[in-house]
Parts: sequence; structure tokens; C-alpha cells
Amino acid sequence: MDPEAERIVKDFTSILEELTFNSRPIITTITKIAEENISYSQYFVDALENRIDKCVPGQKLYAFYAVDSICKNAGSPYTIYFSRNLFSLYKKTYLLVDNNTRSKLINMFKTWMTPNEATGGPLFEGAALERIEKFLIKASALHQKNFQLKLPTPTVPLLLRDIDKLTVLTNERLRNLPNDEKLLMKLNVLSQLKQSLQREKLSQDALRQVQLQLKQIFAQDQKVIQDSVRRQQQQNEQGESKQSSKDHTMENGSKETGSYNNNVHSESSTPFSPLFSSSSGSTPPVSSTLFGNISSFLPAQNFAEIERSNKISSLNKLYESLNEEGLLYEPPKESVVTLYNKLNKDSELSSINDTVKNLPPISTLQNILFDCKAYFSTVNINVSNIPSLQFNQQNIANKNPLVTNSLINLLYRVKSNKCSTCGKRFGNAPEEKKLYNEHLDWHFRINNRIKGSSVSSTSASLAAAANKNIQSRNWYLSALEWINFKDDFIVSTKEVVDEDRQTNSQNNRAGIVTLPSGGKISSATGSNVSEESLYNKFVAVPESSVDMTFKCPICKDVVSSVYDEESGEWIWKNTVSIDGKYFHATCYHETSKNSR
Amino acid sequence: MSLLPGINEATEPLELVNDSNEVHSLAIPIGSQWKVDLPSDFKLAITIKSGIAEVLGTELANDTEYHFQNWKFTVFAVEDVELSWKCTQSLQPKIESNNTASQIYNLHFALEKVRNSSFYGPKVLIIGERNSGKTSLCRILSSYTIKFKSYQPLLINLDPNESIFSPPGCLTATPISDLLDPQSPSWGQSMTSGATALHSKQPYVENFGMEKISSNKQRYMSNIEQLASAVNKRITSDALVQRSGCIIDSPSLDQYDDNLDDLEQIIQRLNVNMVVIICDDDGLYQKVNNRVKPIIGDLMIRLPKLSGVIETDDVYKRSLQRSAIREYFYGNIQTVLSPFTAGVDYNELTIWAPRDLTYDTSAGKDEALELLPVTLEASTLQHAIIAITYADKNANKEEVSKASIMGFGLITEVNEKRQKMRILLPVPGRFPHNAAILTSSRYLE
Ligand SMILES: [Zn+2]
Ligand SMILES: [Zn+2]
Repeated sequence: MDPEAERIVKDFTSILEELTFNSRPIITTITKIAEENISYSQYFVDALENRIDKCVPGQKLYAFYAVDSICKNAGSPYTIYFSRNLFSLYKKTYLLVDNNTRSKLINMFKTWMTPNEATGGPLFEGAALERIEKFLIKASALHQKNFQLKLPTPTVPLLLRDIDKLTVLTNERLRNLPNDEKLLMKLNVLSQLKQSLQREKLSQDALRQVQLQLKQIFAQDQKVIQDSVRRQQQQNEQGESKQSSKDHTMENGSKETGSYNNNVHSESSTPFSPLFSSSSGSTPPVSSTLFGNISSFLPAQNFAEIERSNKISSLNKLYESLNEEGLLYEPPKESVVTLYNKLNKDSELSSINDTVKNLPPISTLQNILFDCKAYFSTVNINVSNIPSLQFNQQNIANKNPLVTNSLINLLYRVKSNKCSTCGKRFGNAPEEKKLYNEHLDWHFRINNRIKGSSVSSTSASLAAAANKNIQSRNWYLSALEWINFKDDFIVSTKEVVDEDRQTNSQNNRAGIVTLPSGGKISSATGSNVSEESLYNKFVAVPESSVDMTFKCPICKDVVSSVYDEESGEWIWKNTVSIDGKYFHATCYHETSKNSR
Repeated sequence: MSLLPGINEATEPLELVNDSNEVHSLAIPIGSQWKVDLPSDFKLAITIKSGIAEVLGTELANDTEYHFQNWKFTVFAVEDVELSWKCTQSLQPKIESNNTASQIYNLHFALEKVRNSSFYGPKVLIIGERNSGKTSLCRILSSYTIKFKSYQPLLINLDPNESIFSPPGCLTATPISDLLDPQSPSWGQSMTSGATALHSKQPYVENFGMEKISSNKQRYMSNIEQLASAVNKRITSDALVQRSGCIIDSPSLDQYDDNLDDLEQIIQRLNVNMVVIICDDDGLYQKVNNRVKPIIGDLMIRLPKLSGVIETDDVYKRSLQRSAIREYFYGNIQTVLSPFTAGVDYNELTIWAPRDLTYDTSAGKDEALELLPVTLEASTLQHAIIAITYADKNANKEEVSKASIMGFGLITEVNEKRQKMRILLPVPGRFPHNAAILTSSRYLE
């Protein structure tokens, strides 16, 4: 190497040594030297490779930016030389750096795949790029797996909360793109998922599926959000690098400041090809544009994979950053997705479009905030210790800020679990949540029973209609019965087995029976036989019986048998057998009660 | 209660799928209300889209359609509310601010403080002028009480013109153990034999059987005495009810004796320890205050006429009473009940009637409580509501007048020739072997 060469390479190396931050001026200088001294290219490549290999992980990316800049501006032979070790350097770097840097490496890689203006091909040799690509796909898959492992176990309430958050985010996006049908459709899916989750019980697996699919459906939305987060970050970074590069700019007398890739992608007029075309404000933030014009170089399948892994890694990033900020509530178990499957069983997501109607403009985020505020407004408040709640004219007549600002929340938002069927509220303590779940189950059972007992308008025969489980008003209780009555028998939402039914049925099968309001009845209130339990008594038509009907000796009504699917037998409903005679259970009970 | 015409009003679902029905949206700002002055033949459906809305203290579920008919009520916005509504006829919603809500909240939390610091809940009597919002206040306070904790306040209705879990003409006591039905002017369902969408309630029922308490004040006070006896025993044996306390609705002040003796009796019989008077008339307030203060001390407060009150007339009240009778037998849209028509021979029936002293001026004070035997004839019994007692058919009149009420029957047909009647009963089966008491309610199916 001649002295001149030695001097230039030494200069180059020492400037390269300064590249300890993302400095556009340094990279520009290095690029210029490389461009003007093509004959020493081999040395520059060695220096850069050495730099990438030896410098601390935090600075490796900037050296890569230098490589990127040189190759994009000077082109061959640098592109050829760098192609030799590109894969191993890239891989080594990728494995050493943090996730944020990784995504920057990936983005840089994507620009390498973009056809070069001069050559019409990708920046580096196909074989090197292909290896990197394979490596990235593997890495992302691993990533994804880790990510899945890290996903919290889904539960219904947590998934509901996820859905609420996604609804808010989607609504926010919709505000900017009011005509976006995809977003509308997503909103609809979300609201349907929410309803189904609230209505039905799902297995753990199903919930997990819901969770994953939610993540997938909304990976793109999250990417958009992530991009805006990143843009913000970059702005901050830019600020930082401006400060630290001050000295260099002074030395160079150059007015160019800022970091390499920032300027690259924020100014489309730069000679460098854009690194982050997808996040630049001028292009629509649609993921397909990321890979828009390289389809001629990679099989379509690979793009999809890259796209997906990219989405997943950005999702992962978003997830982690949100998590770090404590903004994520982690759904432990169950999740929303079988639901989604159910909804989507026969049709593609897009067909739900048809059902998109006026969705509630409810701002769920606001709800969450209000709930939190409500909760905090009532912490450490004990109603019995507040003098202004003393019952007197002044306290009642005057505005009491404590009541209007704090206490009132005890009636509403502090109990943030509001039943979507009846509006009843439940708090967040474990026992309240248990009650809430029992309450929802109760609605479910009751609704089934109401549906089951409602008289169908198309009932084929009168006999069938007569045997329907007819509902009627109960007699009131006598004073004594009422005094000893406990309303817990009505309002309990637990399921109970009615022993009465078992002992009175000839086929000894257990039947779960809930009483009038789904409550239980105890033997302690024996005098208070519920009409419901009477109606539930039945007698299987004896095989010896010639007639499938009998006449109730009390009301003279003819009772026809109905086929009971559960037992596979013909039965007489609301019937008891007394001394070989058959009676309406209700008639018999009334008569015996009145005559005692 | 004179004749209540009801032209074959079977319970049928709201036919809201009418081409002329548009879905309207409506925003109610926080603290304001929509007074739904719904004409009796209109059917209205409301769906809360966002925010917190309540009907007389009962919070409505969001995105659930509620149906209203034959009722005037108020939708109050606890927070900014957006809702959608449709109606069978054109309706112009008017939104106005509610300036008494804050006092009701103050009142609720004052009662809450009592429940919180003692095993003996407040026994608060609500009195006031006609159409001042007494019943609404009771309903709101009951709802807030169960909203706050799983209390079971005892709602006591002393106004026979109101129908709360019962047909009109009754005095009732009902533990409010779960949500009230925001769609129901009679607050919800009493127990039925089957499933109801909300938990039904179990009232204790005294039958006064007349419209004006002045028709037989002695009978009214005797009803109260019996009711109070049952209530006080229930409270003693039911710790939750005891702690939750009583909320007592009462007839308007103009119906009491001029010296307010009956008010004092009510306070004492039911161990009332707090009184809320809704009254804009200073003179009346002063008069009541002078009478009540010596009994309960300073524990009487005054509220202005409630903001949500909708001016109504007797025609409306009659139609409410008529629907309460219909609902007793037939249920409502959500809970369709099947009553049973029993054929009853004259000799299976004993019917008594209370004395109406408005006409029966000859009766002395001692005789006022006496029941009179009713001659079985079409002119007195056709379309009449009778109260079926727990007393045996052959029991003497003292026993009958002390007996609890089992339920009501509607005499749909009197056949004097064949000495037979057809009586509509809530419960299928024979007419009970029990004595009945004629009420002044008439219902034409
Ligand atoms: Zn519910
Ligand atoms: Zn029978």
C-alpha cells in the first residue's frame, strides 16, 4: 500500500471510529471518501467489516448505515465486496443487539431488497440476501413463539378489556379514515365478540384462540400505532444526535446535522433510498407498500412471511413498550377467539361487512378512565364517618360536593361490572366477581327457561299446548308464611337440585330444577311449596296403561301425554299418582292444602 | 273504584315494526332528564347507547331495548346519555334539567349512614302533597339502597290508589331484594309459578278494598295495624331486612283527618323514625311539622316537589289501576301468565264486603270494622274483583276480617238462573274453600 493510500485509509478508519452515534455528517463524509477512492475499496470494506465486528453492539448499526450508504451511492464494487461477509456480519449483529435495533436492521434489510435504480436488481448479491432473509424468518418465528409464551393467560374480563381497548384504538383510527370499511368491519367484529364473550362460556383453549386471533387481526392496527410511537422516538433521538454532533458540524463547517436514517426517510429528495417508506408521512401507512416493488425477486409466499413476521415483531415491540409503561393489563387466561371463529365460520371476515350497522359511538376508554377516577374518588371513604351525611334539613337541601363528586360513584362506576342484560352492577372484589358470574349464568338459565316455556304459535295440537308448562301468578303468602320467608330463596342465583322431583318421579332420574326466579327452596319452608316444583312433577305413562290420557278427577281436564326427549318416555306433566289415581299435581296440592 | 273499562286488552307484544316508525336518537346531558309523557295508546322502545341512564333509580342496561306502554316516567341522565328510541306514534321528547336529584342523593347517603352505623335501618316515611313525587321518591330510594349493597329494604305502600306488586286497593309490604323492573309502573312482578326475567318479589298484602281511605278510616287504620304487626315480626326475624330499614309510601296529606291523628298513628304503629315531607305549601309544612316534631324530634326534612313529576289526571290513574289488575292475572309482555276460569256454584261461595261509610252513614264507630254479607247477584258482583282470604269459607266475619289475603279473583259472569259464577283465578285449580271480600274495583275484560 502506498503512503497516499495508507493516509486515506487511516483517515477513513479514524473518521469511522467517530461513528459512535447515528450521525449523518459522518456517514456522508465516509461515503464521499469511499466514492472518491474506489481503488482502495478493498481496504475500506475491511475497515468497515472490522468496525462492525469489533465495536460495541450499540454502535454496530451506525457502521451498517455507513455500509448501506456507501453501497447505495457508490455501488459496485462495494456491493460485491460486502456481499461476501454480509450474512455473517448481519447475523452476528442481529443476535447481539436489542429489539429496537433489530427492527432497524430489518428495515434496512428490506431496502436492500428493493431494486436498485442503477442496476435494476437488489443492492447485494442474491445469495447473501437470501441467507439473511431465511435467518430473519427463523428469528421471527422464534420471536413469535416467545411472544406467544409471553402472552398472558386469557380470561373473559381481561379479553373484554382488550376488546374495549382495541375498540378505542380502532375508533381513533376511524376518526382519521372515516370511510375505511375494514375498520368499520373490525369494530363490528369487536362488538360481536364482546357480546358473545359476555353471553357464552368458553373453554380455556377457545379463549386462547380468541386472544391470538385478536392479536393477529389487529397486528396492523398496532403497527400503525407503533409507527407513530417510533416516529416520536426518532424525533427524540434526532434531538439528541443534534446536540452530540454539534462539534463535528462545527469542524466540518457543514450545516448538515441529524442522524442518517432520519433524514433519509423524512426527505424524499435525498439520494438515499428510503428506509422506512411505510412510516413516512407522505405514503399511506399500509403494510403492503413495504414490499411493494420487490415482488419480482422473492416468491410471494416469502413476502407474506416477512410481512407477517414483521407485523408480529412490531406487535411484540408495541406490546413490550406498553408493558414497560405499565399500560397493558395482561389477560391471564381465557380470551375472545372461538367467538371470532364462530362468527367467522362460514364466511370470510369481509362478509361481516354487510352486517355493519350503526355501531354505538361509545367511548370505552372514557369509561375506563371514569371508572378509575370513580374508584380513586371513593378510596378511604367511610359513609358512617361523614358528618355532612347526618340526616338534617341543611345537609339534605344543600349541595354536598362529597356526595356529587365522590359518594355517588359508589352507586355506579365503583361497581364497574355492569350487567349487559339488566344493568345491575357488581364490584371488583373476588366475591363480587363470583356473584357477577353467577348472575350472568342465572340470566342464561332463565332465558333458556323463558324461551322453553313460551307458547309457540305454531303448536300443532291443542293437547300439546295444554301440556305446556303454563306460568301463572302465585297466591300471596299468609302473614305467618311471609314473616318467616327469606328473600334469599328468591334472589339466590345458584342452581339447586330439586329433591322433590326425584322422589316423585317413577323413573329415578335427577333433574336440575331452578325455582321461580332461579332461586332455591329449602325444606324449612315446607309450607311454601312452589308452583314451579308442582309443575315439574310428572308421571311416566305406565306400560300397562291402555289410554295415553287421563282425566284429572279434580278439574275434570283431560291430560294428554307428551314425549319426553330426555328420558325417551311418554309422560304426563304436572301429574302425581295417589293411590293408583292420577291428578294434576297443582290441583292435588291446592285441594289438599285447602282441606287441611 | 268505579267501573274500569278495559276492552279485551289481551297482553300482546309491542308491535313496533311499523313502517312509520323511525329510530330517533336523543342526547340527555348529565343531570338532565327526559320526562316521557307517554299517551296511553302509545308504545315506546328505548335503547341506551352510551352513558348512564336510569328510570326512577333503576339503571338501564346499555344496548338493550326497553319497552314502555301505558306509563308516564322519567329517564334521568346520571352521566351524559345517548339513546335511541322509537314510538308507535309521533312524540316530541323534551329535555329539562333535574334540580332535585342532588337532594335525593344526599337523602340516600344520609339513610346509608344510618344503615352503616347500626343494625336497625332507617324507617323513613314519605309524606306529601298530591302529585308531588312521593312514590317516585320511594322507588328511587329503594333502588339506590339495593344498588349500594345487597340490602333488602322493606317497601311499604300505604296508599291504596297505588299498585305496587299488587292490584289497586291494597296496602303492601315488600322486601326489595333485587332490581325493580324499569318498564313496569307496578315496579315488577310478584311471585309466579315460572321463570321471570328479573327476580320477582314476595309482597305481604292487606286488602283495603276501597278507593278513598276516608270511606272507612277505621278499616284503613286496622289494615295498617295488621300490616304493621306482620312487618314488625318480619323485621325481628330477618336481620337483613332489619338492617336495610323501611321506606314507606303514603296517601297524599289531604286524605288524612284534619288533626293528623292518623298520621301520628301511622308513625307509631310502624315505628317510623324519620320523615320526609315533599311539600311546597309552607302552611301545610308548618302544620305537619308541629304535629310530627313532638313524636320524632328533628328527624323530619322537607323536599320541594320532585323535578321529574309529570302532571297526571284521574283518567291516567284509572288506566294505571286497570293495567295493574290486568298484569296481576295476565302478566306483561315479558312474562305472560295464564289465569284460570273456575266455575263456582253459589253454595261454594261466601263473600263479605267492608262498610263504605260514605254511603253507610248509619254505622256507629264500633260497627265500622264489621263486614257485611254480600247477596250473590249479578248487579253487585258482575266484573267485580274479590279478595280471597286465608279464612275458611265458613269462618265468622271477625276471623275473615283478620285473615291474610291469598289473592284476587275476577267475577267474569254471574248466572243467577243456574246459581253459578265464573271466576277468573290467578292460579289454576278449583276456587279455594275460602271466604272472599268484595272490593270496589271493577274490571271489564
Ligand atoms: Zn343482569
Ligand atoms: Zn286438575
